[in-house]
Parts: sequence; structure tokens; C-alpha cells
Amino acid sequence: MSPDVLAGISQASGFLVLLSTVVGVFLGLTVGMIPGMTISTGIIVLLPVTFVLPADISIALLLGLYVGGMTGGSFSAVLLNIPGTPSASATALDGYPMSARGEAGRALGIAITSSFIGGMVSFLCLLFIAPLLAEVALSFRTEDMFALVFFGITIICSFAAQSLVKGLLSGVIGLAIVTIGQDPVMGTQRFTFGQVNLLGGIHFLTAMIGLFAIPQLVSNLVESVGGAQRIQTKLQSVLPRMSDLRAIRMPVTIGSLTGAFLGILPGAGGPIAAFISYDYTRRISKRREKFGEGTVEGVAAPESANNAVTGGALIPMMTLGIPGDPVTAILIGALIIHGLAPGPLMFTERGDFAFGLIFSFFWANIFNFIIALTALRVLVKLLATPRSLLMPTVAVLCVIGSFALRNNFFDVYVMLFFGLVGLAMRWLDMPVVPLLLALVLGVPLEENLRVALTSSQGDISIFFSSPIAVTFLGLSALSIIWSIRSARLRQRSDPPSSKESSP
Amino acid sequence: MRRRNIIAALVLLALGAGYGILTSQLPTRSLPDTPGPPFFPWINTIVLLALSATLFVQGFVGANGPVPTGSEGRLRATWALGVFVVYLVILPGLGFLLATTPFFAALMVLFGERRVLRVAAGAILGTALLYLLFRHGFGVFLPTGLLKGIVP
Repeated sequence: MSPDVLAGISQASGFLVLLSTVVGVFLGLTVGMIPGMTISTGIIVLLPVTFVLPADISIALLLGLYVGGMTGGSFSAVLLNIPGTPSASATALDGYPMSARGEAGRALGIAITSSFIGGMVSFLCLLFIAPLLAEVALSFRTEDMFALVFFGITIICSFAAQSLVKGLLSGVIGLAIVTIGQDPVMGTQRFTFGQVNLLGGIHFLTAMIGLFAIPQLVSNLVESVGGAQRIQTKLQSVLPRMSDLRAIRMPVTIGSLTGAFLGILPGAGGPIAAFISYDYTRRISKRREKFGEGTVEGVAAPESANNAVTGGALIPMMTLGIPGDPVTAILIGALIIHGLAPGPLMFTERGDFAFGLIFSFFWANIFNFIIALTALRVLVKLLATPRSLLMPTVAVLCVIGSFALRNNFFDVYVMLFFGLVGLAMRWLDMPVVPLLLALVLGVPLEENLRVALTSSQGDISIFFSSPIAVTFLGLSALSIIWSIRSARLRQRSDPPSSKESSP
Repeated sequence: MRRRNIIAALVLLALGAGYGILTSQLPTRSLPDTPGPPFFPWINTIVLLALSATLFVQGFVGANGPVPTGSEGRLRATWALGVFVVYLVILPGLGFLLATTPFFAALMVLFGERRVLRVAAGAILGTALLYLLFRHGFGVFLPTGLLKGIVP
């Protein structure tokens, strides 16, 4: 076993790190469970805390919340037929009917067990694939990195939007925003309007808080998702029976592998993985007609898939610095604040930390399983937390979070500005995820593009001379063509509607 | 949704044009055949204008998708945003404790809490707890404002 792996295990198993993982999981289960709160919102609320904590503790806390949130979403999906997170939407299809006929405990037990297996499969993928991918990525030249980041942006836009034009527009607006401040190659001031506060550019975490939390608060007011929820169903034992465990073997295998694979693709995310797994499991099932009426297979497949996405999504984040969803984007931000840049060099320069992160993810899955099974009854009572207390707390935490970043009120105003931008985008049915991810990927995109063109003296054929760059550019073209095609098919079959999925 | 798309496209076209004008004023690099600081913003300008124009055209020829429906909550949301703006304006001067307490209370009311005692207790305790946690627990330098020297 390499010294980095051992150092990583030791880092992730320290008392304070384990404690923060437990706290993160507990908060994640709570946040995921409460309708109207997403994992992204939960992580935003935790951000100011992570600024002042050491990097290993912060990351363990955020990973715990990420893993716990995915499982927590299924609780309200099963008990109330209201998915706590978009990733739990597919779980409600069979989970709620089970709950309605008095099998809520059984459904939740299956959901928790499947989440655990999905999470562990994705941990193994992360442990074995991430170091290999990082090693491959070390040989990437600037033109390859440009093509890779470009691919990341196109695939995100295509996944995140019902309308490709709006998805791309959202991404381009993000790319325009990252040009504010000093340019990454020469340090020239751009679009700063003489404002000292804009010299360092707009911090994407500030933008993120505004883009996600403010529209979330407003939508809770507008849509009036209801006050405190009370569970009518009595919970019996949540420990799965042997017969159920046998029945979910295939659905969990499908869900875990699908989730881990789709998690690696930027933008695919939990909801897509959950629905694909559910659909595929239903197709191959011998009792497919029972799906939708409350089958354990229908709960197991999406639940294993959405938890398997978490580990998958960490692979491109850690090895390439490309976030697959808002949560991994925030994790990148949290790492950067602590002076750790995710990317291929992370495994060579801070291998101990990289493996520490991977093993914190392992512990997060273990604790998630234990806490979810043992504290389910307590957790469910938290559904009764009054919204009138919860939402003002979230609002104040948004202000603290953006202020704490640089102890600066300017960032708080920037947060509010992005909140209004987020609201305007919601009004236009324009997805915010491409904008956010463009804020993360914009700088490496410009930097690699300009460095590559400078080294080739402006000759764009440099992007077609490397097989890696050609592959990624080809994939980008395919991703755009596929999006246009599926948008047309959708227009023919369905009336247009849009629901952006973010964890 | 069509009308919204047209409005959005027009706003984005204006933004794109403004961004382009600002880009044209950026300093260029003297080295030949190398991209300078305006290079990337120019690409953004062109793509932004092209996509905005596409959205504008789609506004006329595309399908008229459903417009998200509103509700009585919209008025409360507008109030909440107004309260938020006022809060951010008074926060630096009044300080965290004095500004956050009424803000917290106002949001509690907007989120449906009508019992005065609960609102008062929630706002005072919530604000105090957050202040103690972040100022003294995590060392975030939350402003004390008018209470400088009175509260730690």
C-alpha cells in the first residue's frame, strides 16, 4: 500500500475528521429530507463554517452532507410522496405506494441499504479509477486541457437544459462574468470599472450562494410548499428482510453501476441516473407490471443509483478539476480556499490529502448507513421543523457565508445581485447550473486556450494535432448534436416544460 | 413563454453589445499572432450575440411553452426581497445584531408565523445564536455596528 494511501486513511480516521463526517451526514440526512431544501442549499449554509475549519475537516463535513443528503431525499419521497431532492424523484414512484399500504419502514430500509451499496460501489470506483485517471491527465498538454474543459462545458449545457440555446446562453453569461478582474495570463485588468473589489474577480462561491439560495427562498414563499410536515404512517422495523435483500440484488447492481458511470459524466447527475436505473430495472423485471405499485426493486434501483453518482462525480472533480454538479463545484471552491487545487497534480503533490478525501467519502457512506438505520425515527421528527424558523436562518446564513469569504460587504451585495440574476433566469426558464459551472471552468478554459495559441503562434491547428484534443473536441460536437436532436424529438413528443435538476 | 424569450433575447442582445463595446476598449498585446486580454471576451461577445439572436428568432417561430403560474405567494416573495435589500443596506451601519433581529422577524412573519411571542423569541434567539456561533465559535468578524464596545 502506498504511503499516500496510508496517510489518507490516517487523515480520514482522525477523531475530529470522523466527528465532522458524522455531523455532515446527520445534517445531510436532515437537509435532504426537508422538502424545499436541496443538498446545494445545505452545503451553502455550511460554507461559512468550512472557511474557518482545517481543509480535512471541512471536506469531511461537506462529503458527509453530500452523501447523507442523497439518502435523506428518499425519506420524504417515501413518507410524503415529496422528494426531498430531485435525485429522489424516482424513489417516490414505488416508495410512496409501499408507505401508503403500511410498509414505510420496509421501503426506507431498502432505500438506506441500497444507498449504502451504491455509495460503496462508487467509493471503489473512486479509489481505483481516480489515481489512474490523474496519472493519464498528467500527460495532458494545454490544448488537451482546453478541449477537455470545453467538452465539460458543452455536456453540462446539454444535460442541464430543456432548451439548448438557453443552456448555452447561461454558460456564456458565466464565461463573460469570469472575464471580470485580472486576466489569467497577463494580469491585465478587465471590466473592473475602477473597483478595487473587482480586481480579484467575482468569487464563484458568492455567486453560487446567490444563484441557488435566494431563488430557493423565494420559491418557498411563492410555491408555499407547506409548513411543517407530519408523518401519519407508523414506522415499523427498517431492517431489510433476507427475501428483500435477494430481490434487490439485480436492481442494486444496475443502479450502482449506472450511477457510478453517469456520475463521472459532468452534468448527468443523480436524477438522470435514478430514472435510467429505474427504467432499465423495470424493463428486465419479471414483474414489471407491479412497478409503480410499490415494489422493493423500484425503490432499490434509483436509490443505489443516486448514491453511486456521488463517488462518480468526485472522479472528474479530483482528477481533472471539472465539477459535474453544483455540489462538486462547491467542493472545488472549498478546496481552493484552503490552497488545494483539484486536478491531476493533486495526486502527486498532495496525494495524502487526495486519498484522505477518498477515505472520508468511505466513512461518510458507513456513517450514513448506520445513522440512517438507527436514528430514522428521530430524523423523521425533524420534518416537523417549522419553515418559518428554518428559512430565515438560511437567509441569514447566506449573508454570513458571503461576508465571511473575505470579510467584505461587497461580496454580500454581489450575492444579492446573483440572487436577482437567479430569479430572472428562473422566470425565463433558463438553467443556472451551466452559469455556475462556467464560473468554475471559465478561467482554465481561457488560460489553456490562450497558452496553447501562444505556443503555436496563433495557429489553431494545434487543437487538431493532438489525438486527445481531437477526441474531446469530437465528443463536444457529438454532445451538441445529440442535444439538438433530443430537443427536437422532445418538441415533437411533448409540450415543452422544464425542470432543472440539481442535487 | 414566447414573449419572455423575446424580452430576454433583447436584454441579452443589449448586454452583448455593451460587453462588446467594453471589450473593444481593452488593451491589446503587442506580440504578433498571440491572443491578448480581449481575445476571450471577443469570443464571448460573438457567441452571446449569436445565441441571443437565435433566442429572439425562436421567440417568434418556436413553440409557445407554458408560462409558470404565479400565486398569492408572489407578493410575499416581493416583500421578502424588499426586506432583504433594506437589511443589506442597514447591516454595515447598525451591525449584525441590531439589523438581523428585525430581518429575521420579518421573514418569520412572511413565512407564516403570526404568534408575536414566537416571532420575537425566534428572531432574538436565532440572531443571538448565529452571532455567538460565528463570531465567537468560528471567528467570523461579524460587524457589531452601533453596539461596538457593548457586545463582545
